[in-house]
Amino acid sequence: MTDILIIGAGLSGLFASILAAKRNADVTLVSAGHGGLSISHGCIDVWSKATSSLSLSRLKKNHPYRIAGKRALNIAMEAFEDIMHDASYPFSGSLSKQLFIPTAIGSLHCTAYAPISLAHSQMTKGTPIAIASIAGLRDCFPEMLVKNLRSNGYLVERSISLSLPGSEPYRDLYSTDLAYRFEDSAYRDQIAQLWKPRLSGIHCLGIPAILGLRQPNQVYQSIQVLLGIELFEIPTPPPSLPGLRLEQVLFSTAAHFGVNIILGSSAIGRIDRSRKLKRVSGITLQTPSNSRQLKAQKVILATGGFLHGGLIAHRDGSIQESVFNLPIDYPENRKALLAPSLFDKQPYEMHGVRVNSRMQPLDLKGEPVYENLFSAGGIIAGADRQSEGSRQGIDLATAQRAVEAALE
Amino acid sequence: MPSLSTELLVIGAGATGLGIAWDACLRGIKVVVVDQSNIAQGTSGRYHGLLHSGGRYAVTDPISAQECASENSILRRIIPHAIEDTGGLYLALRTDPADYAHEWQRACQEIGIDVEPQSLDQVLRREPALTKSISQAFQVNAASLDSFDLLNSLSHSIRKTGGQVLLHHRVNEFIIEDNTVVAAELVSELDQTTMQIGAEIFINAAGPWSDQVAALAGVKIPITHSKGTMIAMANRLTHTVIHRCRPPSSGDAIVPAGSVMIIGTTDIPVSSANDLPIKPSEIDFLLDQGEELIPGFSNRRPLRAWSGIRPLYNPLHDDMNSTRGISRSHVLINHAETDGISGLASIFGGKLTTFRLMAQRVADFVAQELQIDDQCCTDTVPIEPEEKEFIILSNRTTRLLPSENNARDSVICECENVRRSEIEAYIQSSDHFELDNLRCTTRLGMGPCQSAFCSVRATGIAFSSYETEDLLIDLTSFIDRRWRGTSLLAWGQSMRQIVFSRRLYLELLGIQQVSGDKS
Repeated sequence: MTDILIIGAGLSGLFASILAAKRNADVTLVSAGHGGLSISHGCIDVWSKATSSLSLSRLKKNHPYRIAGKRALNIAMEAFEDIMHDASYPFSGSLSKQLFIPTAIGSLHCTAYAPISLAHSQMTKGTPIAIASIAGLRDCFPEMLVKNLRSNGYLVERSISLSLPGSEPYRDLYSTDLAYRFEDSAYRDQIAQLWKPRLSGIHCLGIPAILGLRQPNQVYQSIQVLLGIELFEIPTPPPSLPGLRLEQVLFSTAAHFGVNIILGSSAIGRIDRSRKLKRVSGITLQTPSNSRQLKAQKVILATGGFLHGGLIAHRDGSIQESVFNLPIDYPENRKALLAPSLFDKQPYEMHGVRVNSRMQPLDLKGEPVYENLFSAGGIIAGADRQSEGSRQGIDLATAQRAVEAALE
Repeated sequence: MPSLSTELLVIGAGATGLGIAWDACLRGIKVVVVDQSNIAQGTSGRYHGLLHSGGRYAVTDPISAQECASENSILRRIIPHAIEDTGGLYLALRTDPADYAHEWQRACQEIGIDVEPQSLDQVLRREPALTKSISQAFQVNAASLDSFDLLNSLSHSIRKTGGQVLLHHRVNEFIIEDNTVVAAELVSELDQTTMQIGAEIFINAAGPWSDQVAALAGVKIPITHSKGTMIAMANRLTHTVIHRCRPPSSGDAIVPAGSVMIIGTTDIPVSSANDLPIKPSEIDFLLDQGEELIPGFSNRRPLRAWSGIRPLYNPLHDDMNSTRGISRSHVLINHAETDGISGLASIFGGKLTTFRLMAQRVADFVAQELQIDDQCCTDTVPIEPEEKEFIILSNRTTRLLPSENNARDSVICECENVRRSEIEAYIQSSDHFELDNLRCTTRLGMGPCQSAFCSVRATGIAFSSYETEDLLIDLTSFIDRRWRGTSLLAWGQSMRQIVFSRRLYLELLGIQQVSGDKS
């Protein structure tokens, strides 16, 4: 029996597990696969609409921010910054200002908090910079990047192609391949020897995000000192390091605070029918070799939306919640789930479980389905996270509320 | 206005138009083919890839059936690299009308289509995924034909033989003097410039758009548009073309093609060439039909749905709910005879399997008009591919390994194993970069992820050769079209792919819709 069982190892699940463990709860985290962070940009988007700032009172009543409340959002962001600071992976940013981070193709990604190696690009706007590409690195598009960065107002003076020490690789290198190499200080010395002569006259250099996975900030700082110039990182397409770094930092923090982590096992919800109040009793954990029961006082569902397996769309148009089969609204015609164009607002973004202010999933009458079940993150209905640019902010704020409610 | 003159101007770079031009080239006729967009952008590129044995029409349309059967063996000779010899099976299920199979077998024998009865055991040993409720089975020599490969090879052969293929030029106007078409005014779809092409004969082979082209000369042609919808399913559950042995109807063929299999088609009358939207009911119908042949079919992952428009000859303009009853045979209309407008003829109807025969008949007509005696030889002259390396996954994989002769290459499209060098070669050989054309040339973006990663990679590569905003416009319109093709299939694993691609494009890469003239 565990106090708190969290299902899902994405941003909201990991964050919730740390919050609960920090408050001395006995926490177990289970996840069927890799969480969503492995394909995330690794920044915290809170509200990226250029047209309006975040005002909770102007949001619809069922919007997750409005339900979780401003206080939960503020506390969550403070807690997040603390966790990252303690893990030596500091973030830069605030709730009141927007950061614009260059993407792999040179567009600008509007966000609230970014790891400092990415956020440093902000300082360079208006000053001359150079952009580096790495020979042999897959998914590095220097010409497209430079052209778009220039049209976005960056003063890109030149672009240079940097090579790597050693013989030519046998295959394309992924950013993760290089990240591991950069963690070795001897390799960094070799790099400095090779690159330094090429960098004369350059004050500030943007390079693909390859500077370490496990101690990223340390690698970033050390290579800046070795090269004697300012650097900022530009994320690559997946596998993209900023997301992986955040995942790795959260996993080790959760482990540090004693969270019992079980990966690679899917969960089937179990209902406790012995009492009058409807409760969940835990889950059946399905591992590749067997299945076993895991009992819990409280369960936080952080399984994500359609992409991460929390919601399953069926051909008949119905939408299923994957663990407890919670009630989900869905349109009569499955065609209504999607708007025609990729660039349109997509109705599917709005679907998920409806919750009350304690983050308890609700039935169609608006009553909590189970009194000891809570939810956080992408599975919660009511927000178009993509067009609002609110995805990670909602993850953190709802996780904060869910943990508070579960530990009440 | 720039102008050029030729003997024959063909409008439409589909299988028919290119086939006519190829035939004319071989007879020494000076020819130009024009197309409003690109090669294989109409019905030919929106086809399921079935090289008919003829069996499908044996009972209802013996002439078409006979033509299919003889063209089948000709195409195997002249364009083997575009054909995968999968063979075909006709299956009558226990629920199908029992006497049809006999009638069908007899009809095939009369026409001379090779049909070999198979026992249930033989069939299941060959294709274990098939349903066991098969009452009768026959083997035929159907195959899988890659129309992109066919059309690219045709276009290459035409250019090599002295013909000209002019893409992205739409016919805007015909210049008619004394009731004779003497020239066509064309507008470039890329930069809106105009040009004039004078010719002795104009052939309208614009497929579903042929009524619009004819209207420019003030003539009407009796055409009915029929929409056929297809779904590509991830992976091949059979390596043989599977037909349903029953009167021709919707959803009765499954064709293995490349790394996927395609089920088709529906047959719905529509009002125009651009009436392509697909209804969810069509998707459900096709998946259910597939399920009857292959249990579990409808739970497999669909990759993409698309539709093509058949231009059918319908002189009576029957108002029907289905166009299935209209003959698939082709029709050549000489507008001098029907409308008193000389120098212009329209060809339409027919099917991809018989494109060469249609082309031959048109070229015969053209030769007669031009008083040229050369006979057709397209049934013996091979259509050479541009690159002699055939697009087969295993061939491509070998090329990825560095060897003494080859430098290291990298995979840009993992699903279809498209290499960087292929994209660079495309860039070198084309005057402008277009992702959709690259897709048709290399199969880039046609596999399970439907171009989520490779579209951006290919654009990134193109940026090193071109300095233009158009690349981003092309990228956004390409990924939007690819995404729309998957968006009808929003359930199960496809739904996850849909959400993933969109998140990758919009949130991770920050791709914004760029408005341009093309989008």
